[in-house]
Amino acid sequence: MNTHHHEECIRVLIADDDEHILECYREAFEESEQTDHVQMIDALAAELFDPETDIEDAPKFDVVACNQGDDAISLATEAADEGHPFDVIILDVRMPPGIDGVEAGSQIRKLDPDVQIIFVTGFSDVPRDELERRVPPPMKLHYFNKPLSFMQLAKDIAGMVQPH
Amino acid sequence: MLAAGIIMSNGLGSLSLQKKISASLLAVMAAFGLLSYLILNAVISPAFESLENKAAQTDLVRALRVILADLEQLKSSTGDWAPWDDAYNYALGENPAFISINADIPTLVNLDLNLMQFFDLEGKPLWGQLLQRGEGVDLSKLGILEEGSPQTRKLISHSTIESVISGLIQTNMGPLLICSMPILKTGETGPIAGTIIMARFLDDSRIWRLSEQTEVEFAAHPITDASVDMAGAVAALTGNDDVNFYHETTDDAILSYGLMRDVFGEPLIVLEAKTPKELSALGGQTVNGTLLFLSLAAVFIALVVWMLLRRVIVSPLETLAKHIVGIRQSGDLSQRLDQARSDEIGELANEFDKMTTEVQKARQQLLDQSFKAGKADTAAEVMHNIRNAMTPLFNGLERLAVSFDVTSNLRIKDAVEQLSDPECPADRKDKLLQYINASFDHIESVGKNAGGDLEIASKQAGQVQAILSDQEKHANVAPVFEVLDLDDVVDEAAHVIPESKEEDLLVNFEADIGELQVRAHRVGLLQVMGNLILNAYESIQRSQSESGEIRVVASSETVDKQSMIRLTIRDTGCGFDDSIRQKIFQRGYTSKQGHMTGLGLHWCANALAGMGGRIQAESTGFGHGAEFHVLLPSAHGG
Repeated sequence: MNTHHHEECIRVLIADDDEHILECYREAFEESEQTDHVQMIDALAAELFDPETDIEDAPKFDVVACNQGDDAISLATEAADEGHPFDVIILDVRMPPGIDGVEAGSQIRKLDPDVQIIFVTGFSDVPRDELERRVPPPMKLHYFNKPLSFMQLAKDIAGMVQPH
Repeated sequence: MLAAGIIMSNGLGSLSLQKKISASLLAVMAAFGLLSYLILNAVISPAFESLENKAAQTDLVRALRVILADLEQLKSSTGDWAPWDDAYNYALGENPAFISINADIPTLVNLDLNLMQFFDLEGKPLWGQLLQRGEGVDLSKLGILEEGSPQTRKLISHSTIESVISGLIQTNMGPLLICSMPILKTGETGPIAGTIIMARFLDDSRIWRLSEQTEVEFAAHPITDASVDMAGAVAALTGNDDVNFYHETTDDAILSYGLMRDVFGEPLIVLEAKTPKELSALGGQTVNGTLLFLSLAAVFIALVVWMLLRRVIVSPLETLAKHIVGIRQSGDLSQRLDQARSDEIGELANEFDKMTTEVQKARQQLLDQSFKAGKADTAAEVMHNIRNAMTPLFNGLERLAVSFDVTSNLRIKDAVEQLSDPECPADRKDKLLQYINASFDHIESVGKNAGGDLEIASKQAGQVQAILSDQEKHANVAPVFEVLDLDDVVDEAAHVIPESKEEDLLVNFEADIGELQVRAHRVGLLQVMGNLILNAYESIQRSQSESGEIRVVASSETVDKQSMIRLTIRDTGCGFDDSIRQKIFQRGYTSKQGHMTGLGLHWCANALAGMGGRIQAESTGFGHGAEFHVLLPSAHGG
């Protein structure tokens, strides 16, 4: 797991048992040289050719990743205890050999009633109503099927929460 | 019966077969008991009462007859004395010593007479003697046979030599049996010389004696002295000439009444015979005894029928039902009834056994075919794996699209044109150069990253292709959970160990499972066990040892209050360190060089999770072998 701290960023915890997918999350959520470079080009282009254009700052994320449900519970508990709870927790539904994402989400919801919980799964084998029953309330529960655009997910999350 | 049927169909519908039969037998017994009671009381009891009434009437007739017989005996005695020359002469006044010689008191007592009297032809009393308890009493106390009275004339007047006047007559001393005959010569020839009268009191002592003779308890009540209790009998017997019998019933006897008239035809005595109600009591006992016998017989028959029904029908049906429910709950199609019966239930059980065998064979064939065809996976697993594999592909392509989008919007041409303008300020030229350099850097970076992204996309597409190709081989078999003998499963799974072609590698496989059973998907578990055993074998191969051992043991334990079976697959292969242990179940991980299907232990972990189980891996490091622990729900609950 990699941790990057930024001021006024959205704190995201991601749990998925597939390392390739975790890498995709990191590429979509974390800043890289390439994104810095593109931002610099955009800024120069705006200054040289469209001086009146406003450039919006891209949302910044503080991403913590793990690949088991038990680890996600521990990290969420630790963050809440330290006074820096996560804004969003993204959980894969199936993460063998440990507990599944729904069970992890249910336990996390008990210790943090405000966190936005997003389930991402390759197969929707848990009905929506069961999810809402086990991980209430529906307003703070989201469900996406893989494959999905993590860049779009990052934008959705930015609209979902206010950055710290 | 119709009502009973309605109750059966409505009220008993939810009861067990045994309770329905018990209730039906009880209803039949109750109906039988009630019917028996009604029939016995309607037929038997009245028959006994009728017999008793007839017996009472017979007793009254016997009482009447014994009195009349006594009267006949009196007539016989009178008939001995009436045709006698000595008496004849006495009546004619020619034999004055007749009385002293023949008619003394002992003679009268001997003849059982209370009265003897002689009249001459004119009706004048010649001599008379009245006795009471053997003592002479004044004749006038009788109040009858007074000289010259019309009643006396009627009693002593005989117009022919055959004339006999006999019967009852009321006196001041009580009813009297009386007989009057003409006095004739010996040889019963006339002319008539006078009249002889003999009589006996019908008093209590005589009634008692007659009662003793007949063994009938009776009494003679003068109609004038009849009590209030007999008012009904007196009214019935005197009010209608056709009625000569009347009876009343008390708690313990039947009182029957008959009327006796006096010698002049007037009502004189009410004869009362008392018949104990022995017959009706006997009838009551008979009815009660019969009812008791029938009730006991009904209970006995019902018990025998119940036991027979239970043994022949209910119990076998219960066994059959329990067997069917057991198969439905456990899913174990190996159970058989094996009923050694030739009746319909036995036939039903045997047919069910045959059907179960056929279903078991069909299921086994289905699962075996699926297993032999290759790895069977569920649609959920395939969807999960494909979508997981597609996610990096999808996001790689998206990144590529964004990068090219940025590239296509670069304004390098504008920057070059402005840079070539001689009037362009120096500081702007610096920034334009900076922009152009940055743009080319970006293009170069996009080219490099595009290669990486495309490589990932290609790899992920290959992954999806591998999953689909693998899945294409297998039938889509829905998992069926059943009770499995672990020993059989492990034996079958161990066939994955290749026949040793290399004489320098000897792998010893041992299994100590006992009779433990789990509830699981047979094909899935076979694949998991096959996978783990094959992994163990290959690990030994990779360890470069000349020999190795794979040992599978099983034990039962309780986890979170659930009865579980732990299967441990232990090998002496190359083992692994903690860093590998942490990712050994991740999708795509493999320690086998050149062999990458993307499934393996990740698939095993998912399959076991789908069966309510889980898997753990342990090793103390490279070169120390490994242990895989498979936990599965026991077949026997908990």
